[in-house]
Amino acid sequence: MHPTGTLIWYYYICPREVWLMSRHLTPWQENPFIEIGRLISKESYQRDRKEIRLENIVIDLLKTEGENVVIGEVKKSSRFEKSARMQLAFYLWKLNHLGIEATGKLLFPREKKKITVMLTKEIEDELEEAQQKIISIVQMETPPPARRIKFCSKCGYQEFCWS
Amino acid sequence: MKVILVYDINEKRVTKVLKTCRKYLNWVQNSVFEGEISEAKLVKLKMELKKIIHEDEDSVIIYTFRSAWYTNRETIGVKKGVQELII
Amino acid sequence: MKRSIYIFSDGELKRKDKTLCFETKEGKKYIPVENTHEILIFGEVTINKRLLEFLTESEIILHFFNYYGYYVGSFYPREHLNSGYMILKQAEHYLDHKKRLNLAENFVSGAIENIKRVLIYYANRGKPLNETIDKINSIALSIKDCESTEELMAVEGNIRDEYYQAFDIILDSEHFVFEARTKRPPKNRLNALISFANSLVYTTVLSEIYHTHLDPRIGYLHTTNFRRFTLNLDVAEIFKPIIADRVIFNLVNKSIIKPNHFEKKLDGIVLNDKGKQLLIQHMDERLRSTIQHKRIGRHVSYRQLIRLELYKIQKHLIGEEEYRPFQSGW
Repeated sequence: MHPTGTLIWYYYICPREVWLMSRHLTPWQENPFIEIGRLISKESYQRDRKEIRLENIVIDLLKTEGENVVIGEVKKSSRFEKSARMQLAFYLWKLNHLGIEATGKLLFPREKKKITVMLTKEIEDELEEAQQKIISIVQMETPPPARRIKFCSKCGYQEFCWS
Repeated sequence: MKVILVYDINEKRVTKVLKTCRKYLNWVQNSVFEGEISEAKLVKLKMELKKIIHEDEDSVIIYTFRSAWYTNRETIGVKKGVQELII
Repeated sequence: MKRSIYIFSDGELKRKDKTLCFETKEGKKYIPVENTHEILIFGEVTINKRLLEFLTESEIILHFFNYYGYYVGSFYPREHLNSGYMILKQAEHYLDHKKRLNLAENFVSGAIENIKRVLIYYANRGKPLNETIDKINSIALSIKDCESTEELMAVEGNIRDEYYQAFDIILDSEHFVFEARTKRPPKNRLNALISFANSLVYTTVLSEIYHTHLDPRIGYLHTTNFRRFTLNLDVAEIFKPIIADRVIFNLVNKSIIKPNHFEKKLDGIVLNDKGKQLLIQHMDERLRSTIQHKRIGRHVSYRQLIRLELYKIQKHLIGEEEYRPFQSGW
């Protein structure tokens, strides 16, 4: 089992989502936040939009700035910056393994905000650990129990978890 | 939420706006639409409209009501389009 | 919230200008595609493949009813939510006799609980229903001893017999008497109402299943015959009393529905178009009405409540939480 960028993103928000996603039990698609999020990533930065697929990762944007390769990930809001940062770092790490040096940019079109993400030893270690944890979550027979967190009110699993 | 949308659009683009509104709301009468739609759908509709209109020339006004309970609709004269459940 | 559309006129339903359009002799009516989740068709409607492709893309289900208002079938677009894991879990709970019986038992006891809620509601309003409630309670005791779904169905049947007899006490109307449960065709007005209202609950549940990862072909109380939808019939048992029956009682007691909304057809009695439309209007309203949900912490509609029920079933199948059927609060 190879963790994907999406699972990394979910892992830092809620481990239960990791388990559910791993079974393709996708969240409620009409959840307003999911729908708006989908729209924003579809509509923004269309000029640079080249969805790139490498092994089991999907990269939102890719461009070259001079000598540098820049990959971008579009997010609706910076509220879950940690998740977003680790997801992008994961892509950088994957590219690194393929021999591609790149920098990451987190893009928040609604907030007109950009954050640069670089791969460091610390982040690499953290990613390593996260991937191990993700694998052990996915191997669980039943999902980690629902816990009420801030994200619940915006989550497409809210009705599933609290039904 | 309950939405009432009215527009004043240059002839060149008015058909496009009309067609876009039809995907989300019910036509009421010339340049007027209404309906109950979700927040996300409204965002989507606005995005689509922004791409069509020329902001220095055209205008779209959207009234939103959290609930249809506080709105009342009265027609004087010919009854035109209404949000119909049964057609 | 997306809406349901009910088509009674004759005409052509088609894709036009990236939305839905219904064209009749009188003219065109546009249906906002982004805001529609199901279409129920009662009239003579022409459709083409282009439309079906568009509906699939837009995730809209079509339900067809014949001239008499009987459910004919559905266009269930290629499932957009797919989880092999969930289908395996569903099958596992079907193939294991004990697991299947447990779920079937839950559907029956959920139905009975809500039947009792309806009876208690009217008992509190002065209707002499205590005898019926006692009888139902005593029949319900045998659920625990049932060793097959057939036995469970039989117990439920007995309870429904008692319950339907009580309709005459609740309604107290010379135009609407129960006599006996008759289907295809219903032999009297009340039976015609029950049959039509139930078929609306079945299609509503099916539409909600479409938006979950469950496969509607694998039911537990109703035997899966690998041909038609059965899970929606199971889940509908729980909601029929509180959605369909309550609407019927309202319509009859307030004399909204009257004898002239019926007609003799075949060997029985069916609702005419006006009658069907009245029932649809009130059912649709009921499904959109909301109640406070404690765990979710906000109001949810009865339609959402059905979806929440499906989520509870999923959690049961996953093995994380025993399924307990919804019980009406009033």
